[in-house]
Amino acid sequence: MNIEQVLAQAEGLLAPWNKETIRPESNRLDVVIVADDLRAAVTALHDAHWGYLSAITGMDLGTASGQLEALYHFCNGPAITSLRIRLPRGNEAILPSIADILPPASFFEREMQEMLGFKFSGLNISERLFLPDDWPENVYPMRADFTLDQAAPVAGRHADELPEQGVVGGNTFVIPIGPQHPALKEPGHFEFTVDGEIVTAARMRLGYAHRGIEKAAESRNWIQNLYLFERVCGICSHTHALAYSLGVEKLAQVEAPPRAQAIRELVAGLERVHSHLLWLGVAAHEAGFDTLFMYSWRDRETVMNLLEQITGNRVNYSANLLGGVKCDIGSEQAKAIKEGLTYLETRIRHYLEVVTTDVMFLNRTRGIGTISFAEAVKFGLLGPTARASGLVRDVRTEAPYGAYTHFPVSSVTETNGDLEARCVVRLKELLVSCFTMRTIVDNLPEGPLTTRMPRKIPAGETISRIEAPRGELFYFIKSNGGETPARVHIRTPSLCNWVSVLEKAVGRQLADVPMLIAGMDPCFSCNDRLVTVARPGSRETWSWSRLREYGIEYYKR
Amino acid sequence: MNTFTSLITLLVFPAGLTLVLVGMFYEWIDRKLVARFQNRIGPRWFQPFADAVKLFAKEQIKPAIINPYLFFGLPVAALAGALTAALYVPLMGLNPASSFPGDLIVTIYLLSLPTMCVGLAGWNTSSRFSLIGATRTLTQLFAYEAPFLLAMLGPALVAGSWQINTINSYTQNHWLIFTQPVGFIVALIGLMGKLELPPFDAPEAETEIVAGALTEYSGRGLAMFKISRSVELIVGLSLVSAFYLGGLNGIPSFLLKSIALLLVMSMFQVLLTRLRIDQTVGLWWRFGAILVLAQLLVMIVWKGFAL
Amino acid sequence: MKIGTMLKDIVESFFKKNITQLYPFERTPTPQRFRGNLQYNPSACTGCCLCVKDCPSKAIELVTLDRAAKRFVLKYHMDQCVYCGQCVVNCRFKCMGMSNTDWEHASLNKEEFTVYYGKDEDIKQLLANLAQPVIGPTQK
Repeated sequence: MNIEQVLAQAEGLLAPWNKETIRPESNRLDVVIVADDLRAAVTALHDAHWGYLSAITGMDLGTASGQLEALYHFCNGPAITSLRIRLPRGNEAILPSIADILPPASFFEREMQEMLGFKFSGLNISERLFLPDDWPENVYPMRADFTLDQAAPVAGRHADELPEQGVVGGNTFVIPIGPQHPALKEPGHFEFTVDGEIVTAARMRLGYAHRGIEKAAESRNWIQNLYLFERVCGICSHTHALAYSLGVEKLAQVEAPPRAQAIRELVAGLERVHSHLLWLGVAAHEAGFDTLFMYSWRDRETVMNLLEQITGNRVNYSANLLGGVKCDIGSEQAKAIKEGLTYLETRIRHYLEVVTTDVMFLNRTRGIGTISFAEAVKFGLLGPTARASGLVRDVRTEAPYGAYTHFPVSSVTETNGDLEARCVVRLKELLVSCFTMRTIVDNLPEGPLTTRMPRKIPAGETISRIEAPRGELFYFIKSNGGETPARVHIRTPSLCNWVSVLEKAVGRQLADVPMLIAGMDPCFSCNDRLVTVARPGSRETWSWSRLREYGIEYYKR
Repeated sequence: MNTFTSLITLLVFPAGLTLVLVGMFYEWIDRKLVARFQNRIGPRWFQPFADAVKLFAKEQIKPAIINPYLFFGLPVAALAGALTAALYVPLMGLNPASSFPGDLIVTIYLLSLPTMCVGLAGWNTSSRFSLIGATRTLTQLFAYEAPFLLAMLGPALVAGSWQINTINSYTQNHWLIFTQPVGFIVALIGLMGKLELPPFDAPEAETEIVAGALTEYSGRGLAMFKISRSVELIVGLSLVSAFYLGGLNGIPSFLLKSIALLLVMSMFQVLLTRLRIDQTVGLWWRFGAILVLAQLLVMIVWKGFAL
Repeated sequence: MKIGTMLKDIVESFFKKNITQLYPFERTPTPQRFRGNLQYNPSACTGCCLCVKDCPSKAIELVTLDRAAKRFVLKYHMDQCVYCGQCVVNCRFKCMGMSNTDWEHASLNKEEFTVYYGKDEDIKQLLANLAQPVIGPTQK
């Protein structure tokens, strides 16, 4: 089925509630519905297994229009269907929650609730996620009329002054991990209620690295934003810049020259190598295998030096420009890349062997945190975490972008779904990447490095999906024809993968918890720029009890 | 021996101050070896001494809700236990300062005193992390203590005595590593468990529970716990090399044998992933105890036939 | 199933030199494309201010002393610069570059981080009459 047929199928499924159909881009279908029909529409798409919920974007259409808009994006291969709902601003912006049909939606809904002031009926969560506890009520940062003096902290509600939430009495007590903890490389807060060594409850809060990047983007011009988005995350910075550039280029109807696209793919491949080697070291360190940590980070230096040689910096490469790339690959760089790749391939094969045969390391990874295929689909997992359970969600193969049509990669999957499978998937992916990179270096197309881009990007909306090392990165960019964007919404892959941690932690030992957290390769910086994920500790809220029931049921089987 | 020499022995050489300094020196060797195995530089020779000096100079922060006598007294008790255990082993190859029949048992119990003090200290400070660390420390104590004792029992059986000095002179001519290999391995790995070296460092797993039982300790208390650990290292190495590696009869043989053992221990530290606490206990009670018991059985039968 | 799979690595490392670089006593040379401190060539500058306009962190200010005679002074805030290189790309007359040797910027006081680039006499004049600098178009 090609894109047209797939979209026609979606249109057919949504016909009963369709108020208006818009085709903003060739691979996108926007269906305008009213809030009351949301659950029916979502159930229709879900029952027909039409794609997966990738993101929910909230927009403030301005005080003049007096409306907020919510977009629910469902992705099926390269085709994207968005359900658009317009609501009046003010307290009547109520939407039904779909978190019971699609669990990942609870995260997105909490984001919209805190940032834009949507209200979701059926989502009974009063706890803050990433806004601090002493943020005043009814002040929504992403609204157009937000000013900084509205954000004065409310006295008496600072996190230190609030009673502890989620404490269960009796023999159990709560182990807090974070925001300052040696296990975490970035701040985040987890609370695990333990009974001896067994975890009985899990709860988390994010937002400690929140910098308000989406709001900041609205006051910077298109070129400045490129560098702003690059700094959402240090490990996957190139993919953020790439997603943004591709999106803006789509809006301006400009295509970067093939040489630039190929170089972008090359740098993305190198970034994947550095990211997965970093992850391997961190996972080994969490398991207590410091030797593997030291050696994999030593070998990562090879990649960092290569990136420095090509782009000029080890982190935040700034290789992208709107319309192309900054740095060229000459014969000297090509030679260095090939030598580096040869060395890395040998070492990666060695680590693959270590990870799959070392008895002690396997004791900590085999059979731990197993997520079955059905669970992966249900919880909307992405990236290598999903591929380890057999669920192929890989934007590079499903919806190839940039140079991936000329230099394709194959997706690596495993079926076990445990921590060992995730290690293996990531390492094998690197071998595939190395092979592709060699092909690119040998067959780099000739041509210029950039094309002209207008300074004012024409009005429109675009969606740009990229495969970051952690999964699918989703950018929604809206332009009003000016020099600054009207809205940029980022949904990072780590967000969708948090469920697996909390889900799988219950019933396991406390010692496995850092491995579980590390196993999904969390990127707190990516999460916090505008997303909330939380699992409240008290038992009244439905999502917690549902999850707990699920955990108990799971272990009974 | 008269009071003056006793005091010198106790406080300066070979126990007391010298022991503490040599202990820290061995800690440095261990850290340096681990670093070299990991392709790193490792600390310079004065690092553990600098750490100790720095810690003694720092303020000791006392948590509000704890028992102050235990808080300040336990580090001292731990250090005292380790230092006293050193009196009965052939420290640095020289004759033990004091010796009486049955001192093997006393030494082994004195060596568990620091571990129990750590466990108590963790319970006393009652922070979440230290509680879990204390539980793990004591669980691990239950795990390795029995096999370790049995592994020490093997040489005692063949030497026909419970006195360390006698066993030492017996093993001068009999290298028990060859006749009791299982006992040697269990003793070596038991020593790693006692010292909470990786892979048995679940009680102070940094990535899970910050610093385990000693999370809330700082300043003098922490320094004394760390010094008691390094003293335990020396005493343990002396014991194992005296029993299995052909006895200690002078400083050169001590240095050679203990550093060889330390090299092997560092290699184990570097090669193996940390075990979870339940895996540690399972390992010890399943493999450690059974293997050593089997060996003891073989020895007893052998001796029975030989007599 | 093996135990001690990294044995070969550790034994080799024991006899090889370690890979730690004893910075600052040993320094590897930075690659040619390294993005270090900004360099400015005043003779080619026409004062178009494209570099100022697109700087993500407002690290550049262009002071015009005399537009007709092309006398400009570039005021560069090293501590705000993110070393992205957009200004270098934007400049049509190739007056900007990024050094690959000047990147060790630790300092004990903040004054060192505001640098004036230009011809010597221009800078002197600017510093003399610092009352009225004309700043190029900045971002809103």
